[in-house]
Amino acid sequence: MIPCLFQDCLAKGCFLNGHINLSIDGKTVICPPGASVLEAAEENGIKIPTLCHHSGLEPFGACRLCLVEDENTGRLMASCVTPAAPDMAVLTASPRVIKHRRNIVRLMMAEHPESCIVCSKGNRCQLRRIAAQLGIGETGLYPMPNYKAYEQANPFMVRDLSKCVLCGKCIRADHELVVAGAIDYSHRGFESRPATVHELPLELSSCTFCGTCLSMCPTGALAPKNNMFVGTPDREIPTVCGFCGVGCSLSMGVFSDTVVEVNPSRGKNTVNGSTLCVRGHFAHDFLNVSQRLTRPLIRRDGQMSPASWDEALDTAATRFLAVQKESGPSSVAFLGSSKCTNEENYLFQKIARVLLKTNSVDNGGYLSGRSALAPLYKRTNGGDRVRSLAGLEKAEAIVVIGADVTETLPVVSYGLKRAAQKGTPLIVIDPRQTGLSAHASMRLPLKPQTDLELINGLSALLVRKKAQNAIFTDHFTKGFEAFKEALLKLDLEKTGRVTGVTPEALDEAAEYLRGKSVAFVVGGGVLEQRYAALTLDALFNLCLMTGSLGHAGAGLYVLAQENNQAGAWDMGTVPDALPGRQPLNDSLAREKFERAWQASISPDRGLDLIRMIEEAEKGNLKALYVMGENPLRALPQPDRVKRALEKLDFIVVQDILKTETTEIADVVLPGAAFSEKGGSFTNLEGRIQFFNPAVPPPGEAKPDWEILDLLARKMGSPRRFGSLERLRGEIAGLVPMYAGINEGSGAVWVVEASDKELFKNEGGARVSFAPVSSIEEEGQSDSYPLTVILGSVRFHLGSGTRTGYSGRVREFHQNGAVELSPQDWTAFGLQAGDSVKLTSAHGSVVRETAKNSALTQGLVFVPEAVHNNDARNLIGLFPLGQPDSPGWKTCPVRLEKL
Amino acid sequence: MPPLELDSILEGRRSQPHQLIEVLQDVQEKYGYIPEEAMRVISKDLGVPLIDVYSAAVFYKAFTMKPRGKNVVTMCLGTACHVRGAKLLLNQATGQLGIESGETTEDGLFTVEHVNCLGACALGPVVTENGSYHHHMTPGKLRKLIDSLGREKTEDASHA
Repeated sequence: MIPCLFQDCLAKGCFLNGHINLSIDGKTVICPPGASVLEAAEENGIKIPTLCHHSGLEPFGACRLCLVEDENTGRLMASCVTPAAPDMAVLTASPRVIKHRRNIVRLMMAEHPESCIVCSKGNRCQLRRIAAQLGIGETGLYPMPNYKAYEQANPFMVRDLSKCVLCGKCIRADHELVVAGAIDYSHRGFESRPATVHELPLELSSCTFCGTCLSMCPTGALAPKNNMFVGTPDREIPTVCGFCGVGCSLSMGVFSDTVVEVNPSRGKNTVNGSTLCVRGHFAHDFLNVSQRLTRPLIRRDGQMSPASWDEALDTAATRFLAVQKESGPSSVAFLGSSKCTNEENYLFQKIARVLLKTNSVDNGGYLSGRSALAPLYKRTNGGDRVRSLAGLEKAEAIVVIGADVTETLPVVSYGLKRAAQKGTPLIVIDPRQTGLSAHASMRLPLKPQTDLELINGLSALLVRKKAQNAIFTDHFTKGFEAFKEALLKLDLEKTGRVTGVTPEALDEAAEYLRGKSVAFVVGGGVLEQRYAALTLDALFNLCLMTGSLGHAGAGLYVLAQENNQAGAWDMGTVPDALPGRQPLNDSLAREKFERAWQASISPDRGLDLIRMIEEAEKGNLKALYVMGENPLRALPQPDRVKRALEKLDFIVVQDILKTETTEIADVVLPGAAFSEKGGSFTNLEGRIQFFNPAVPPPGEAKPDWEILDLLARKMGSPRRFGSLERLRGEIAGLVPMYAGINEGSGAVWVVEASDKELFKNEGGARVSFAPVSSIEEEGQSDSYPLTVILGSVRFHLGSGTRTGYSGRVREFHQNGAVELSPQDWTAFGLQAGDSVKLTSAHGSVVRETAKNSALTQGLVFVPEAVHNNDARNLIGLFPLGQPDSPGWKTCPVRLEKL
Repeated sequence: MPPLELDSILEGRRSQPHQLIEVLQDVQEKYGYIPEEAMRVISKDLGVPLIDVYSAAVFYKAFTMKPRGKNVVTMCLGTACHVRGAKLLLNQATGQLGIESGETTEDGLFTVEHVNCLGACALGPVVTENGSYHHHMTPGKLRKLIDSLGREKTEDASHA
């Protein structure tokens, strides 16, 4: 809705600007043109009851409760669908209005079951509240309850449509916000109810269990399903979701210091609006599981035994200092977390760099392509950080490449689907048919790992069509002519051969993009592949060529898998950069930090995550501090990682849950989940979002920054920070891009500080085109004839440590079946329920199988995170190639039927 | 069931969501009901989400989701027919055929339905049989009508 600028209007005297003045209940109010009477009233603090209105949805006029009386004509109108008009005079609570409103509620109540006492919606039921306000106890009508089957087969939500008042919010949320197409009105009249196709249970429909409808339902018709009685929340506390990189604003419902319910926050201008995904809505039950770590543990004679904080921290500090003194700084390493806060990551790397003199600091973001992004970041020199997801819906055209967003970052997919619904051309580049394909204008089904060739082919076609943005390239870039020459020489036949995409399809895609500024959504399919860095370079070239940078609704949207992947990098929890992504080998940057920290910093790059494992294997790494990561589950070759880490003299794990990694630790320090501490996360947009604790940590557990603060003191730091404010103060002073972190509440944006003209108002350098690189056609080896694509499922995040502890997610029975094309299915003689063994050069997995008719022959899809993330056995653990690109999205395998 | 042949219906209407009702009418006409598979094809070819196809198909009484019998006997239960004993007619038909209103006999010969008004109140009670109207119906007349329809069909079968 357009905000009503009442104060401004009066001050500026802009009545002539089309603003409307009308009288509501005798009070003259002003509202912008296009506002409804209801909106005008709400903006001016006049309450009108309603059940079907929601600010995030189109007005609908279903419940008729928002009736108002026109003083001039005496007509009764539904205010939510009546536009405010000049000189209108309405009454919102005249005796006539009240009489009719009471009748409507009486009729609703006559159809409603008398189950309010046991209804889990309790005092939050809007129907009950309105009935109470209108003083309707007895309806005085013949009760006609409309009993419907109670649906609760799925573990996430209960549908009791007897309580449905047909406001249509769930249906509109489904159609307008998340575009899932799972439910709609079915039948009509008294029979009418929201239903799935053929009234099948939700789990058999296209429902994604995002729970958006559930949070909007005004009655008890839709309610979260809890495995046990949890009580009705007695308070709601805003926070930020700790799962994926979108960083949705949440409202945590708390009942006696336990989080019992999660809903989208009602705040304005949030990333997610009124939507969430199944993880954000339901998987937070991991917060209350018995496997939470509640007290420090120390290994004594091979057994983990409880210890006091003092004892545990003393042990950690003295052992680390001893190892460092004896074997040098290269013998200790610190693995920080893309799930922990900015403040914690800052403190973490500071401890490593200042107190232990090592640059061997990394975080789990390494697994999802952080290293591949580094060269691109260098190219823009710090520009192009801030990119609002809301802009996607304003894009002229969208290309989604290697991103299965409906599974990995569902909230991003809602925006993409909404854009496609409005007619924005949407091109999906993916070897597999994804949830987005049905909404796309077209899909380019390329062979895995050939995105680089495809993007170059697309660029070449656009150049041949003379469809580049010449004004943009002339003004902001350098090297376009050479780039153009290289593209003109490109052999498009080879592109077709390598990628498997027909020239016609490529041409059609180029036509969609011609003359448009394009939004490129880049996901794990690119970031985790072998040619990640080169592909990103090629994509950025295409961005520059089409002029798709420097304004909202276009550019490179790089997706982050984890909530604070961007922040952990920004805070310097990486082996080659200081906080603020300032390179370690930049002596000016180093000097600044040396002065501030009063310590010397080595200019040498430290060990990254993979090299930490290798050095541990060799015996060169002797002590490791792990905060909020589970390398034994998340890294390739878990067994090898376990053997390597068991060789260490000393390993400290600071975590919230019992994990594979805490099992081998010498000291376990219980930290706090995001809902139990204060801090800030930086999402994939570059939005730094602050949050405060909703509940206290369980048992003796402490917020992670407090643990680090205490540890630093024990390791010899002269004083403690003692508060988040002081920590933020230091960050704001040293990291220009986080100058806003002092704000401490709500959200601020990362400050872009690039010397490139494109990202500044005026002056500055030009962005250069990267050379056109190429890859060769690859044959399939005979011993491994199939190609596995590893991918996420919606119910889990990353390696599934946290989501795997969610009772509801586990109950939903994810058997992690590997998917095969119908051709391969027949060729291997598979039947439903058969299990297969997939073997790669590195290891094998045994899984059930499923036929996926949308899969191309030769491809096998293996879901990650399930079965203790055993899919990681298939891929090899090896140092990244240059430029740093992981290359563990796909691997060749052979299949045996069991 | 023979494979669906919807090409002739969908021809020239593909990717035109606004043609939904017309296409559903033609499918209903051709098959006597809307097969589940047809909804999927329509959804894909017209570019309408499946849930919207379903929602439209169950909204209108003109569409049925289940195959109907060869003879469709429809009782009017509107006010005028009701006061003249339409309920007795419905009982007669359902009792005689051993099915409930909205159901089809096992041999596929009869479907009994009821509607709320046919707009021929002066002629009530009204029963329609395969589209033709029978006015001032009585349970006896209805019994004979159903008997003769049943015989006709069995004769058809024995001749064939």
